Amino acid sequence: MQPLIADETLVAQLTRPESREKAFGVLVNTYKERLYWHIRRIVLDHDDTDDVLQNTFIKIYRNIGGFKGDSKLYSWMYRIATNESLTFLKQRSKKSGITDEELKTRMIENLEADVYFEGDDIQLKLQQALATLPEKQKLVFNMKYYHEMKYDEISEVLETSVGALKASYHLAVKKLEAYFKEH
Amino acid sequence: MGKNKGDDFKLPEDYFANFNARLQERIKAEGEDETLSFLPKSDGFKAPDGYFDQLTEQLKQRLAPRETKVINLRTYRKVAYSVAAVAAIFILVFVLKAPSETPIEFSDLANAEIASYFEDTQWDVTTAQLAEIIPVEEVELADLVETDLESENILEYLDENIEDIDEIDLNFETYEE
Repeated sequence: MQPLIADETLVAQLTRPESREKAFGVLVNTYKERLYWHIRRIVLDHDDTDDVLQNTFIKIYRNIGGFKGDSKLYSWMYRIATNESLTFLKQRSKKSGITDEELKTRMIENLEADVYFEGDDIQLKLQQALATLPEKQKLVFNMKYYHEMKYDEISEVLETSVGALKASYHLAVKKLEAYFKEH
Repeated sequence: MGKNKGDDFKLPEDYFANFNARLQERIKAEGEDETLSFLPKSDGFKAPDGYFDQLTEQLKQRLAPRETKVINLRTYRKVAYSVAAVAAIFILVFVLKAPSETPIEFSDLANAEIASYFEDTQWDVTTAQLAEIIPVEEVELADLVETDLESENILEYLDENIEDIDEIDLNFETYEE
């Protein structure tokens, strides 16, 4: 994942008031699509994705001073996006007074009526199959297979070793394959 | 390395000519990026047309400091003086007459408000940090649970939640009084 502008330069510009707005525009333009698709695969609905994505960027903007440069900028941003998405789902199930499982079922039902989901039966089945996976395996699978991220990139975002990620991915594929055979 | 004259064995035509291509294909097939035939190529999500074009602008607007409307106070000054005078009299009367109210205390907070605060607030505290704050050594199980736990309940819980309960070195009798 090669950014158009070096992370250090962008972070430096973001922390200076005079260059902040312009640099933020560059940051959003560089990462908006990637973060959108990452969030979309977690929360599924477009409008919810839009909410979470905007909150993610606002958090990034307000907390850029706290970015220490220990990790890469994109992995820090992906981490915020992942946390925001998972928190969003948790809050939604809490507010609706339903379990996480019930929320997953509801999300897939809504997907059938979603105009921004060009899903035919097999794509809907994929989402149903993904909903049966533990959250971490689902994340790893989506990031690797549909988001086409490399293991070392996922490793930085999820702060998990490459070996553990490979195991998660392997388990996810096996479970998905079994689901497709059974249904 | 001995030179192979090629007298003893025969090879298919173009074996070496397309060896590299076949090897690359095999590496690709066995590599990380293999495609899974049972899955759809795309997961079917799409974004509305033009969504990404307007996103940057929308975000900038959300982050821009809001302009506040400036009201010229001079025109209201005369009215303001008389209103202030009346208000001052009212306040004076109430302060003198009203009994002093007790300050709001922690116990005045509804339990529901406290619960919703804990639910809605994101805590940037890890379990390890929490463990440092709470002196676990001094906490007894009875401090955390309201009802006394019977050893039977504990065993039942373990049976339902642990796969190989037999492997745990449980001495059930010692828990029975």
